[in-house]
Parts: sequence; C-alpha cells; structure tokens
Amino acid sequence: MASNRWLATGNYFTSYKEEQRIFFTSLDRTAMCLFIIVLFAWPLFFSVGNKYMLVIDNILVAIIAVMGLNLVTGFAGLISIGHAAFVGVGAYTVASLARTLGDGHIILTHCWPLVIILSGFMGAAFGAIVGLPALRLKHLYLAIATLSFQMIFQWIINFMDFFNQGQTISVSRVIWVTGKVARKEHYLFWYYAILVTIVILAFAVRNILRTKYGRCLVAVRDNDRAADAMGMHPGFTKVYAFALAGFLAGIAGALHAYLYRGVGIESFTLHHSINYLAMAIVGGLGTLSGCFMGPVAIKILDLQVERLSEWASEHLTFAANLATALKPLSFGLIIVLFLMFEPRGIANWWRIAKSYVKLWPFRY
Amino acid sequence: MSYFFQLVVSGVVVGSIYALSALGFVLIYKSSRVLNIAHGQIIAAGAFITYALTVWAGIPIYISFPMSMIITFFLAMSVERIFLRRLIGEPIISVIMVTIGLMSILDGLIYLTPFGTENFSFPPFLPTTPISLGGVSISWTQLVGVGVTFTMIAAFSWFFKKSTVGISMRAVSDDQLASMSIGISVPKVFGLAWAMAGLSAAAAGGIIGNITGLNFDTLHAFGIVVFPVVILGGLDSILGAVVAGIIMGLIQQFASGYLDGNWGLNGTGEIMPYVILLVILLFKPHGLFGIHEIERV
Amino acid sequence: MKKNNMTTCMFLLVAVFMLNFPVQAHAGEVYKLGLSMAITGPTSDAGNPYSKGVADYFSFVNDTKILGDDTIDCTIRDDQYKTDVTKQNFEDFLDQGIVFYLNYSTGSTLALKKDFEEEKMPVIPASFHAGNLVDSNYIFLPIASYSAQAIGLAEYVAKNNTGPKPKVAMFVHPSAFGRGPVEDLEKAIAAGLDVEIVEVVEHGKNLDNTAMLKRLISKNVRYVISQTVQSPVATMLKDASSLGLAASTFGEEGKLTFLGCHYTGGNDLVALAGPASENYYWTTSYTITNEPSAGTTAQLELAKKYNRDEKAANSHNYANGMMVAQVATEVIKRAKAKGKKVTQESLYEEMLAMNGDNAFSPGTTVGPVTYSKTDHAGVDTLQLYVVTGGAFKSAGTPFIPEFTKK
Repeated sequence: MASNRWLATGNYFTSYKEEQRIFFTSLDRTAMCLFIIVLFAWPLFFSVGNKYMLVIDNILVAIIAVMGLNLVTGFAGLISIGHAAFVGVGAYTVASLARTLGDGHIILTHCWPLVIILSGFMGAAFGAIVGLPALRLKHLYLAIATLSFQMIFQWIINFMDFFNQGQTISVSRVIWVTGKVARKEHYLFWYYAILVTIVILAFAVRNILRTKYGRCLVAVRDNDRAADAMGMHPGFTKVYAFALAGFLAGIAGALHAYLYRGVGIESFTLHHSINYLAMAIVGGLGTLSGCFMGPVAIKILDLQVERLSEWASEHLTFAANLATALKPLSFGLIIVLFLMFEPRGIANWWRIAKSYVKLWPFRY
Repeated sequence: MSYFFQLVVSGVVVGSIYALSALGFVLIYKSSRVLNIAHGQIIAAGAFITYALTVWAGIPIYISFPMSMIITFFLAMSVERIFLRRLIGEPIISVIMVTIGLMSILDGLIYLTPFGTENFSFPPFLPTTPISLGGVSISWTQLVGVGVTFTMIAAFSWFFKKSTVGISMRAVSDDQLASMSIGISVPKVFGLAWAMAGLSAAAAGGIIGNITGLNFDTLHAFGIVVFPVVILGGLDSILGAVVAGIIMGLIQQFASGYLDGNWGLNGTGEIMPYVILLVILLFKPHGLFGIHEIERV
Repeated sequence: MKKNNMTTCMFLLVAVFMLNFPVQAHAGEVYKLGLSMAITGPTSDAGNPYSKGVADYFSFVNDTKILGDDTIDCTIRDDQYKTDVTKQNFEDFLDQGIVFYLNYSTGSTLALKKDFEEEKMPVIPASFHAGNLVDSNYIFLPIASYSAQAIGLAEYVAKNNTGPKPKVAMFVHPSAFGRGPVEDLEKAIAAGLDVEIVEVVEHGKNLDNTAMLKRLISKNVRYVISQTVQSPVATMLKDASSLGLAASTFGEEGKLTFLGCHYTGGNDLVALAGPASENYYWTTSYTITNEPSAGTTAQLELAKKYNRDEKAANSHNYANGMMVAQVATEVIKRAKAKGKKVTQESLYEEMLAMNGDNAFSPGTTVGPVTYSKTDHAGVDTLQLYVVTGGAFKSAGTPFIPEFTKK
C-alpha cells in the first residue's frame, strides 16, 4: 500500500483483497461522495419542470433495470431479449396487490419499501424459472427462451381478467412522513426514492462483483468449461445470474408502477426489452459505469431527436415523414455505430478520458 | 369432418408461408450463425417493393414479383456488406444486436415512405371465386402462394444439394477454417446467404401482402413469428424449417379451431407456438432436424 | 487511425444532438394546446391522417384569423402508442401551460384519467371508449362511444333480421379498446335488445381466420360486429369471401354479414380488403367524402389548402382530427365572446354549456355536438354506411341508438 492514499502513483498491493477494493485512491472516493451529494442537492437549487423530472426519474428506473440486464448479459454473457418482461413481473406484483387489496390499501401506501423489495424477489423467482433452461442450453437458444418468456408474459397479462387484461391498473399515491405525497412533489419525491435505491443497489452489485459469486459470472462467460473444471457449476451460475437480473428488474418494475401510479402492459413490451439492450450496449456491456451512462445517453438522444423532428416538421413541411422516421432511424444508427466502432460503449470513453486526465500532460 | 379438413388445408397454407418466412432466417443462421432479428423488416420491404413495382410502375405482377425478389436480393447483400462484414469474428451478442439496430434503421427507412403508416392492397389478378371441394375451400391467392412456396423450397434444396456454390455454402457452415483453406471466400458466402435470405423474404412478403393486404405492423410481425418455427425445426435445417412451418400452421389452426371459444379461451393460436417453443427448448433444444451441438453444461 | 477518426465523428454526432433546436415563438396572444398521439407505430394508419386534420385546422384558424389576432399553438407529439411517452408529453404540455388537451389512445386515456382529474384539464381523446368516462369529469368523447356504436349496429341487426332471433359474434381487438363495448352490448341485451351474442373473438395477428369463421358458421352465427382496426377486419373479410361465407345481402341465411365500429371502416378497409369488403356495414358519426355535403367540401378544401394528398384528404380520420380541432376552437371562441379569460376552467365551462341552443354543428359530423354535465359524448347521432361498388355509401338516415341509455 502506498504511503499516500490520495495519489494514484506508487500504489502497490500486498494481497488480492486489497486489489479488489472499490476505490483505488481516497481521491476517487471523495469524488464519488461529492458526485452523490450533488445528485441529492441539485433539485433544491434548480427546478426543471414536471416533464424533465419525469424523464429523469424514468432514466433512474431504467438504470436499475439495465444494471440487472448488464449482470446477465454483460457479466454472465447470456443474451436476454425479455428483460422488460422481468420488469413487468415487478410492476405486476404491485398491481396484483392493488387488485386484491384495493389500490389505496395501507400495505401499498405505507409499506411501499417492503412492496418494492417483495417485487424484487418475485422478479428473482421468475428470473430463476426462465433461467432454468440454462441448465441445458447455450447462448442463442437461451436468447430465444427469454424471447418466448416475453411473448408468454404479454399474452398472459392481456388474457387474464385479474390483470385487467393489460389495461392500466392504478396504484395510489404513497404516504411519507410528511403525509400523502401530492401531485406537485410526486416526481421529486420519487427522484429521491429511486436515487437512494440506486445508490444502495449499485454498491450491492459492485460488492457482489468483488466476491466469488460475482467473479464466477465472469468466469462462466469467458469459458464455461474452465469454470466447470475449477469447481463452479456453470448451469447454476447462469440460473443465479438470471435470478439476480430478475431481482433488479423487479425492483425497477415496482418503482415504475409507483412512479406512473399505474401499471399497463404497454410499458413492458418487446420493444422495451430491445430498448434496455440498446442502453446496456451503448453504455458498455460488462461495466458498472456503463449501466448509468447508457440510459442517460439513450434518453438524451430520444429527447433531442424529438426536438429535432419537431423543428423539422415546423420548417420543412414537405418532410413530414422524415420527422416521424427520425426516431427509429437514429436509435438504430446509434446501436449499429456503437457496435461497429465502439463495442465497449461509452464506459470506454470514460475510461480513456480518465486515463488521459491522469497522465496529462504525458501521452502513451 | 369437413371442418377438420378445412383446418388442415388452411393450416398447410399458413404453414407454408411460415416455412418460406423461416427459410431466409435459416439460410443466414446456417452459413454465418447469426440470428437475424430484422428478418420481418426485410419481408416487409420485399412486399412493399413488389407493390411499388406492380401498382406505381405498372408492371404486371408475374414480372414484378421476381423483379422485387432480385432487388431484395441485392438489398440484403448490401446490408450484409455494410453492416455485418466488419463484425465477422466479433462476439455473437454484438452481431445479434447489430441486427436489432438494423431492424430499427429499416423501420425508419420504411417510415420515410408512405408504406410506413398507410394501408395498401394488391389489385386482384386471380379469380376471386374460391375453389371448393367437398366443403373444403381455398382461395386462388392461397393456392398460388403455396405453389410458389414449394417451388422456392425445391429450388433452394436443389441449389444446396447440387450446385457448386450451394455446396461451398454448406462447407462454410460446416467448418469455416477448412473451407477457407480450400479457397472458398467466406465473406462472399456470407453475403450470398444474406442475399438469398432477402430473395426468399421478398417472396414471402409478396405472398403475405397478397393474402392480408399491406400493413407494416402485420408484415414485420413475421420476423418474430418465425422464431418458434425455426426452433422447432432446428436452427440450421432447411427441411426442418419446412416441416416445422407446416406443423406450426396446423397447430395454430387446430388451437384456434378447437380450443378458442371453449372454456373461455381466446387467442390460443397466437400463443401456442411460444408454449411449444418453451417445451422444445427444455426437452429437445436442437429441434426436429437440427445438428446436435447443444451442450449439457 | 481510422478508428480514431470514427470515434471523433461519433463525439461530434453526440455533440450535434446536444445542441438545442429552437422552436419558433409566436407573436400576440397564444393559446397553447397539446396533442399526443401515435403518428408512427401501432394504429398509425388512423393516427397519421388524424394528426394532419388537427394540424391543418389549427393552421387554418391562425391563417384566416378566426380568433382575431389570437392564435392557437397546438404542439403535436408522436408517442408511438406508448403510454409512458404520452404521460411524459402530457407533463410537458402542462409545464408549457396548455389550456386544452387532445389525447389519442384508449390505453393512455385510461392511464392518465386521474391526472386529468387532478389537473382539471378538459380532454378530448380520439378514443371513443365508454370506459373513459367512468369516474371522470374532464374527458369528452368527440362522438358516440364504441359501445353506442356497437349497440346501434346490434339494433340495426335486430330490426332488419328475418327469421329467428339473430345470433351475433363479436370480433374485437385484444385490448381495452376492443373489449370495451362487449359488456355494454350485453347490458343492452339484458335490457331487451333482441339479439344473442354467441361468441366474443379476440383476434391476434392471424394470417388466416378459417378456423374462426367455420366455427362461427357451425354455431349458426349470422352477424359479426367488429371493434378493432382495419387490417384484421380486412383479413377476415378476405378469408370469408374466399371461403364463400360472406353474405351478399344483409342477413343472408347460412352466411356471415359483417358490421363494425368507427375504426374498422373507411377507405383504408376498402383498400386493404378490395372486393371482399363489399357489403361491409360500418357506423360512425362523421360525414364521408363519398357522400358530398357542406362538411366534406370544407374538409377537402382544407386538405387542398395545406397540400395533403388524396388519401389523407378523403380519410374519415382526417375529418375526425379536424372535428376535434373545430370543437376546441369553438370553445375558445365562445369563451372569448363572453369576455372570459381563456383558461382550462373557462373552456371546461364552455364545454359543459355546449347543449340545447348552444349545440355546435361542425359540419363534418352527421349531427350536432352536445355536451353537458351528464353527457360527455359529443355527437350522439350515428350514420350507417355500407360498401357498394367498392366505396362506402350511406345506408339509411342518421339515427340515435335507443338502448344506450338503458
């Protein structure tokens, strides 16, 4: 261990345990703390309006979901084309409580943190079930198994009266120490609630990845026979990866349900699964920081394209079709360009930028 | 009993269209091990090109149909050249994701045309009175559709069995390194596989367009419908795609014929393929005719 | 090296997207309206002309100074039929200070119902789902609900059927939008409407409806009432005609007669189904351009003024969008005429006062638009159209379904 823990230079380790620490220097840790403080403090000084607050909340929910997806696809190397269905499982856990107990029941309004955790476990259970074929299947076939889960999920929700056949099931406002969360402060309240959840989950995930349970995911991804030889059970590891992903997705789903105050099937379709995948890829598969950057980047792109197409339809009246085509076109292009030229995602730019700053003014 | 036979007939009709749609998918998988998620969009593009040639350019349909197949042939080939050639050797996740991105791009391109949001229908060129035989009836469009499908499938089978190019494509799917060493250009084979997938997709699109009318939503949904079919048949088997397509068509018809409307069930025809898909994945993952390469890890 | 260039390019690309595209501001008093709808994605075949109708009519209002110097600024956003995006758009519109909101899909209207209540925002959705009005004070349907339409069709069946009690099947979209009228039709039947519902079919993306049609025939069904969008109906009609099951006259024995609500019909259906659409009965409250009237002339002129193609100009959904814009403009005009400030409250009051002598006739509908505290469905009158010779033509005169109130 270096004598000065604030500097990156002269760092050396005498044990593997030390090498696995979250922050290499105290500087890193302070920067992270400051960043988190800024995240908590900025709404006190700026007001961005309900729309952007909703967008931000939405990004945060997506971050949780993408963390789950990244665990299964990025770290364990198993493509999941049904992640929105797992998110849906979480949301529909809340919805079915609302259906059976009545949407203003005390459990839903007062004990909402417990409901959210319960949704996480439901997601985990479904994740494990869908992951079961992993005991026998390899990548491509598994991808198709997740796809079929997505389809069956949509059908069941659409078919069953209990789930209101896919129509919105409303969830009432929650109670906090200050009383009922009113419409005005709704988005701000959930911003903090989701942010706290993210901080907790992100540290949990980071810590899992440091333990043998996290490293075995990577080992199975890189070479499952070698992992087998080292005493891990690749099949169970995969099931467990799916369960972890399902847990995070379930929590994201429950938060989504509370944030939108309702659950409808339209928020959990195949299209959303693809969106989550795109976020994970643009952010950077197999990196934790990518889970944060991907959703932010995709949402900003979305907003900007919406602006651009509004601008286009105002100034170029002949190009009405262009305005509507821009969204899918830019979305597709972003995915393809990233895969072709920067398959490691924005997280890699972040890494490059960091090392550039660290070494400045010297270069490799 | 005529009810039963009617279901069989329409099951075979639907099934053969599934088979033709699945064919292109299998061709790409067989040669390059890529799951092409954008297949539905290529089917839709084929249908729209056929329509544009037939109605806007006024070319008779028996010429415009093969013409659109040729156009889509080159279209798919260039798609492979532009987007996928660079990714040879990249992890399979990336390649699948590229096809997902491709799907979005093609969506965008189609929204640039009137086809994205409007409905069209082919001018009728066949007699509209159905053929009836003992209470079982089939329309001319469907009959011709089945005919075209089986011709195409026969042609493809012949191509892979007998022609040099077809054999070299099989060689590549068998062992890329070995085929490279005997002088087969692997990238060219990949391009050709995509091109032929485009060809069959255009044929499928043209037939579906004639049966249902041109609606983008309906057409691109076929990209997803083929998944259960190809899994049932085995991802890399042409024969499998045909047999599984027809089985799937029959199952769908029987499910909606005998299950729907009883016991409060509805839309079972829609979900049955996916249930079968899960069962197949659990118990016979390589499908009916696929190569046994699944490992029990 | 090449890779580096590409990375730079992508940085630039991202930078471009970070730029702001200024949206032009208008001069004078501006009333902000919002419309969030599916211009692309599912149901865009209806949404696209609808959005054009709305946009054109508001430009017309501004260009011809119907509101004097005041202008209407209606922001139209594409939500691709996704409820989440609709909610986001609605919040954005609220931030911009809209006074009137236009919505589109059934799903999002139901999902946002509570928000409309809390914000006290008058809303006209393009969905005529009767369930929109349950527990809601601020949602106004432009025309009679799907339920009223389905009941109207069933009444027509009951009146014109020969022989025993008519057996009816319903062919509905697998969503709230499709299922809505089923229950209300059952209620009307319980109240004495003389038809029998044998089966309710929820369709999927079927390539072939043979099994379903044969099953219906075996259950002696003679009429199929559909509540969905055009393309599945077109497939069903084609299958029915290829199986020889389509009736050539209304209520032909042993055959099926097809009827449907607003979104199942129109020129697109004829375009999709071709000759198989012959004898398809369709009900809506809008006038159609095949039956020229003052309203359709205005519709065609508007479309011409803003360079819309034939297809959009003749679409009944163009009229649909236009009519909704007409109603919104009318309430603003009335609020102004009374010297009230144009706010969501005053517009809401004007909406509720639109009845009796104050009923509004936009011309694009077959009857007047009336709203009151208890009546939130605009045009109560329906017109039946039938395809004859490859085009929809009027069948009978406009009518009001009797069993809707029971």
